[in-house]
Amino acid sequence: MISRFTSILAAVSLGLTANAAETVKVVVRTTLDGKPVADAVVSATPLDRPAPALASAGGAQIEQKDQEFRPYVTAIQVGTTVNFPNHDTVQHHIYSLSKAKRFEIPLYQAGASESIVFDNPGIVTIGCNIHDWMIAYIVVLPTPYFAKTDNRGAAALPPLPPGRYRLEVWHPRAPAPLVQEITSAPEKATVLEFSVALKPDKRIRRAPSGKPTDY
Amino acid sequence: MKLGSFQFRRFSTRLICLLLSLLTAVLAAVFLFISHFNESNAFDHSESNLELGSRVFDRAILQRIESLANSASVMSQDYAIRQVLLKDKPDTATLSSNLKSYTQRVHAPVIALFDPAGQLVANSDPGMDNENRGPFVYMIGQATAQDKDLLTGFAYLKRELHVLVVKPLYAPFPEIAAWFGLAFPINEAFAREIKRVTLLDVTFATVDESGAPRLLASTLPTGDARELLPAVVENARLPARLKTLTLSGGRYVTLFKTQELLGGDSPVTVVLQRPLASELAAARELENIVLLISLAALAAATLAALWISRGVSQPVQQLAAYTRHVAAGDYTRRINLDRGDELGQLATAFNQMTAGLAERDQVRDLLGKVVSPEIASQLLHSGVQLGGEEREVTILFSDLRDFTTMSEKMAPTDMLALLNRYLDRMSSIIEKHGGVIDKYIGDAIMALFGAPVADADAPGKAIAAAREMAAALESLNRELVAEGRPVLAFGIGINTARVVAGNMGSKTRLNYTVIGDGVNLASRLEGLTKDPAYATHILVSGATLRAMKNPPPARELGEVKVKGKAEAVKIFALAPKGESQPPYPA
Repeated sequence: MISRFTSILAAVSLGLTANAAETVKVVVRTTLDGKPVADAVVSATPLDRPAPALASAGGAQIEQKDQEFRPYVTAIQVGTTVNFPNHDTVQHHIYSLSKAKRFEIPLYQAGASESIVFDNPGIVTIGCNIHDWMIAYIVVLPTPYFAKTDNRGAAALPPLPPGRYRLEVWHPRAPAPLVQEITSAPEKATVLEFSVALKPDKRIRRAPSGKPTDY
Repeated sequence: MKLGSFQFRRFSTRLICLLLSLLTAVLAAVFLFISHFNESNAFDHSESNLELGSRVFDRAILQRIESLANSASVMSQDYAIRQVLLKDKPDTATLSSNLKSYTQRVHAPVIALFDPAGQLVANSDPGMDNENRGPFVYMIGQATAQDKDLLTGFAYLKRELHVLVVKPLYAPFPEIAAWFGLAFPINEAFAREIKRVTLLDVTFATVDESGAPRLLASTLPTGDARELLPAVVENARLPARLKTLTLSGGRYVTLFKTQELLGGDSPVTVVLQRPLASELAAARELENIVLLISLAALAAATLAALWISRGVSQPVQQLAAYTRHVAAGDYTRRINLDRGDELGQLATAFNQMTAGLAERDQVRDLLGKVVSPEIASQLLHSGVQLGGEEREVTILFSDLRDFTTMSEKMAPTDMLALLNRYLDRMSSIIEKHGGVIDKYIGDAIMALFGAPVADADAPGKAIAAAREMAAALESLNRELVAEGRPVLAFGIGINTARVVAGNMGSKTRLNYTVIGDGVNLASRLEGLTKDPAYATHILVSGATLRAMKNPPPARELGEVKVKGKAEAVKIFALAPKGESQPPYPA
């Protein structure tokens, strides 16, 4: 994950002139008790001009391991190809009924890997026909400026060239995305704090089996 | 009061009537109480039955809802529907036929599929249109707003009442990709199903805004269900309430409960009913048994009363018969009642009383022998008391001549036998003429005429007695001569005078007698008969002759001086020849 972040940051810095960008850091906490919220996707869509096109098509990967999707939340720019390697001992049947991308990868063997190109923005929820509890989200964004919060609830956006942006914070358990307009100025570092009222985590609890789970 | 004056002829009738009326009253009270208790118990029982039925009804609906919800959960994980939905543009006809196949799989008559926004995507029932879609859309909106994964409600689909369930299609959980809308009808079949479980009659009806009732479904016969409608109007839109209704099918304990509909439609009234007759069936059986037991108890009581009354009246009748014997003077009988109760005591007392009566009778008999019957009677009637009264009495004295000399030559028993023979004859003659033997003084007899009972003809009777005594003595002497015994001779003196008559003696022993100079004169006259100059053995005083209405012819013998008396007394002999004619000189 860190490597992916680095690569995105590198791409951003490459496309901009040095010192002209602003660094925006976002911290997301829960409204209820102020705990840090991980797996929130923070994105900034330029309002004054079109967003830069996808720099590189490759990159994202959602693996299946221990009959789970990893990671739980993945943010990508429109057009990105996502690999779904099966690192499990059983077969999986991945599908999504989401409007942004309806697809399925019918039963495929352990060790095999399939890729899908996500060419429409939106939230794509993926599941497995075999294992009801498996769920993952792919946030397909029309902008290269995005980041995902870590365990401390913090996310650092790539340096934003000056201009107005629509800042959006999305989380699977948030009733609706948080939206805020920001104006980026050169040589500036901003820290934005968001609090989000999360719905209860309704993911299916797996029956205790031999294998340990991530949660 | 007529009733108060009413008298039973027989004790047994009275006892039976009393016992039976008491028992009948008690049994009737018991019967009425049981009947009343049964009725109220049946009502209570129906009430709890209805409450239970109401819960079963709620539960039945909940169970169907759960069943539909579970079916929806299973359907939402179904591979086939996902495959159809995966298409960029799902084929509605395929989806609808897919849902149709589900209706058979999960036994839900109506299954529809909606997108997350509430738009109808597909439907198992091709007849379902936008009007019928309304309740589902409303529920999906509510469920989304409240973040619920199950919502249920009552609504009309195609004019028929249904229970509706909306359940999300997750892809994957908890991502809502679509909504299932399922429904089952609340119809006659459902009502019958509820009745099968609860044994209650179920009716669904509604009252629209204008107040007109509409029957939706009922397990009641059509006529009864229609009769019920006015009560439905009366109890519509009210909290659950219990009533007793009379329909042509009988009396029903009835529970009305209101079921609200989705979207503020006119609510449905659910009517649960239990016929009171079926609740009372067991009670009626009990009442019949109680009735039988009551009749048996009455019969037993009658027998017991008969037995008791016989136990009482028989000895009483026995006592009554016995008493009649006693009244008739038969003291010899004894009643024999071998029982320790009051009647036994009464019998013992009766026996004692009879013994007492017999003893008294015996005493009375004896008294008559010891004293003359008249004295005995006077003693018994006027009581025994000392003291006397002055009255005119004729006193007769008789004495045997030389009996002492004669007796010395005889054995004492012979002498006594002879004396008794003589006294017996003389006494009976005296008594025959109304005389009273005052006492025997050895061979002498003192007799009274006109005492204790006054008698105007006392002197005449005394004289008649004296004459018969003389004749009787002659007759006795003839017998004695024939027996070779010496003959007897006597003298009689009769005087009439005022004397004191009464009981004399001590308090414990007394005699009825007369005292006075007249008594002494009579004795003296008797003594004078010994004088041969008078040549008579009956001497009568002038006073006696004067006291007679028709004095007999008598011969005056002269005057005698009596001791203690200044005047001399004229004496007469009763003789046929040379008699003086009355009036006799004083």
